[in-house]
Amino acid sequence: MKQFKRALSLSITLALGSLSLSAQAQVTLNVISGGSQNMVDYVTDYLGPLFEKQNPGVKVSVVGTGPDDAGSQKMMEKLQAQKAAGLATWDTDVIVPNQQKTGEMVQGGLLLKYRDSIATGKYAVSQSAKQALGVNVDGYVMPMFESQTALAYNPDLIKNPPASYDELRSFVAKSPKSFGYNGIKGGMSGVAFVVGWMYAYGGNPDVVQQGPYDAKAQAGWKKAFADLKTFNQQVVFTPGNAGTLDMLNRGEIAMGPVWVDMFHTWQAEGRLAPNLKLKLLSPGMPGQPYYYAIPAKAKNVELAKKFIALATSPAVQAEGIVKRFNWYPGIDANVVKPALDAKTWNQLFVDVTPSDLAKFSKPFPLAPFFKDLREQYETQVQN
Amino acid sequence: MQRPTSSLPMLALLAPAVLMVGLLFVYPLGMSLTYAFHNESTGGWDLGNFSKAFDLYGSDIALTAGVTVLSTALVGVLSIAIAGYLTLGENPRAVAILGWIYRWPLFIPFVVAAQLMRTFLAKNGMLNNTLMSLGLVDPLNAVSLLDWRGVVITFVWKQLPFAVLLIGGAMAAMDRSMIESARGLGAGRLRALLEIVLPQVQATVWVALILSFVTMLSALSVPMMVIAGSPTMLTVDMAWRVNSYGDYGVANALGFVSFAMSGVAAWFYLRQGLRDGRPPK
Repeated sequence: MKQFKRALSLSITLALGSLSLSAQAQVTLNVISGGSQNMVDYVTDYLGPLFEKQNPGVKVSVVGTGPDDAGSQKMMEKLQAQKAAGLATWDTDVIVPNQQKTGEMVQGGLLLKYRDSIATGKYAVSQSAKQALGVNVDGYVMPMFESQTALAYNPDLIKNPPASYDELRSFVAKSPKSFGYNGIKGGMSGVAFVVGWMYAYGGNPDVVQQGPYDAKAQAGWKKAFADLKTFNQQVVFTPGNAGTLDMLNRGEIAMGPVWVDMFHTWQAEGRLAPNLKLKLLSPGMPGQPYYYAIPAKAKNVELAKKFIALATSPAVQAEGIVKRFNWYPGIDANVVKPALDAKTWNQLFVDVTPSDLAKFSKPFPLAPFFKDLREQYETQVQN
Repeated sequence: MQRPTSSLPMLALLAPAVLMVGLLFVYPLGMSLTYAFHNESTGGWDLGNFSKAFDLYGSDIALTAGVTVLSTALVGVLSIAIAGYLTLGENPRAVAILGWIYRWPLFIPFVVAAQLMRTFLAKNGMLNNTLMSLGLVDPLNAVSLLDWRGVVITFVWKQLPFAVLLIGGAMAAMDRSMIESARGLGAGRLRALLEIVLPQVQATVWVALILSFVTMLSALSVPMMVIAGSPTMLTVDMAWRVNSYGDYGVANALGFVSFAMSGVAAWFYLRQGLRDGRPPK
């Protein structure tokens, strides 16, 4: 009986082995991307076909899990489940998560430390390539792009847009309902506006951004949230990131916080009035990268590394990230700039200049601060 | 009707269905209800999640109850009116057109309906623009309906055909002789509807309304897309707790509250079935 069992298991192994051998001819690289639909489009329309052309026999399959923490939470739960089940290989090769969840995934041992083994690893020079909301992710990630929030405004209605949170407050006090944002449950552009508000009025912005976490740093938050509650009485609430742009476009609000890349893309597609402009408020508004990462037990590790190396090469960052999708490059901008013509490069920085970015682009808060901030907004501003 | 049957094949036939319901519905439901009482930080069992849920989302719970009850009531009144006209209407062309047109929203998913309403009900949306060009609304006084009102409008628009389909079907299946004799004795159409037709289809009306209530209570896409800001509905808060904080405790507590609301509806539904002496439709 024992022998029979052994023979049976051997034959099953052989049968499965031959199956997987025949499957080798067509390898599928499984990519899961967080973020909005444009990030999935980026892989389906541009990066995937490019990679398939360079690697015959490989098929890139991409699934989108949606924007914000929600989308990246889904991929984290998928990896956690496979880890908990004790699987030898996981079914996902490359993931594109946001900052918050990347930090949690690194802490949970779900990711592979791969960056130093790919050729483009040396281009990952930004602060966000090392730290994700206070978690050390150095070596685990390559930034795909950097994105930034800013105030979009209609110059027909506002000749001199506010340049700071202070000016915005006095402007809104004089003309109520001219400003709109999407609260904190309707997408990250609203969250970013609130975070910027807290950096301006909550005190200790450096501790909140860099750590270490200390609840005492929140001493000034109560006052800042109370002011925000008063401010909220004079603003219009918009349904989501896209909702803010829609309302700007229909002239229902004169200004509101938006994602810069989404703004440029909509404008390029003719979905947004061409006269609308951007302004980055001082003392600063947050931006965030999305990352390329490889799950700890990915099936096709070498192929995944090759895919990320291509995605973070200067040529692809120039053509795909900057030119086609209007994001700021994820890798060192100095190696991307030579690959682009001056006109395209300047278009990216027409309203928000590189010096604005250097001065006023901030990271989102440290994860524990960020959680407290959102929860206190719910208790103190929304209730 | 007693027949000697072996219970084994019968059980075997039932097993897949029972297993399916058990594994995919009863088990997760039980887990969710139980874990609403689980305190993640202490590992013990208490009402912490509930007090947090009521603290943060008390007004949302009230809004959810209000919006669903109001929408259900509107669906009831309007569906009886439409079904009544389809049954009692005397202009065959009008009846034919109404009968053809009322079903349309049935084929449109909630998320698409919500997307339509986002542009239709906005401050400078199609509705207000039309009213402005007709001179009915002053542009300065135009208001956006993208709050709880927008949700009620979307829900009613979406659930109305479903209720009309059920109620109209029941009315059509009635014995018409009573309607005709009442009309012959001089009862107006409204009186015939309220006093003759409605009492006979009452059971179906309740079933249609209860099913609509439960459907609206569970819709996530509509409040998420239509309501700007807060207060919003419970489904949105549940999604928010899970997605932003990974906090299943409070989400489960909110789910518990939502179950309690639909539980009341389910109780009516089952009672209706028992009173009729047959399983509910």
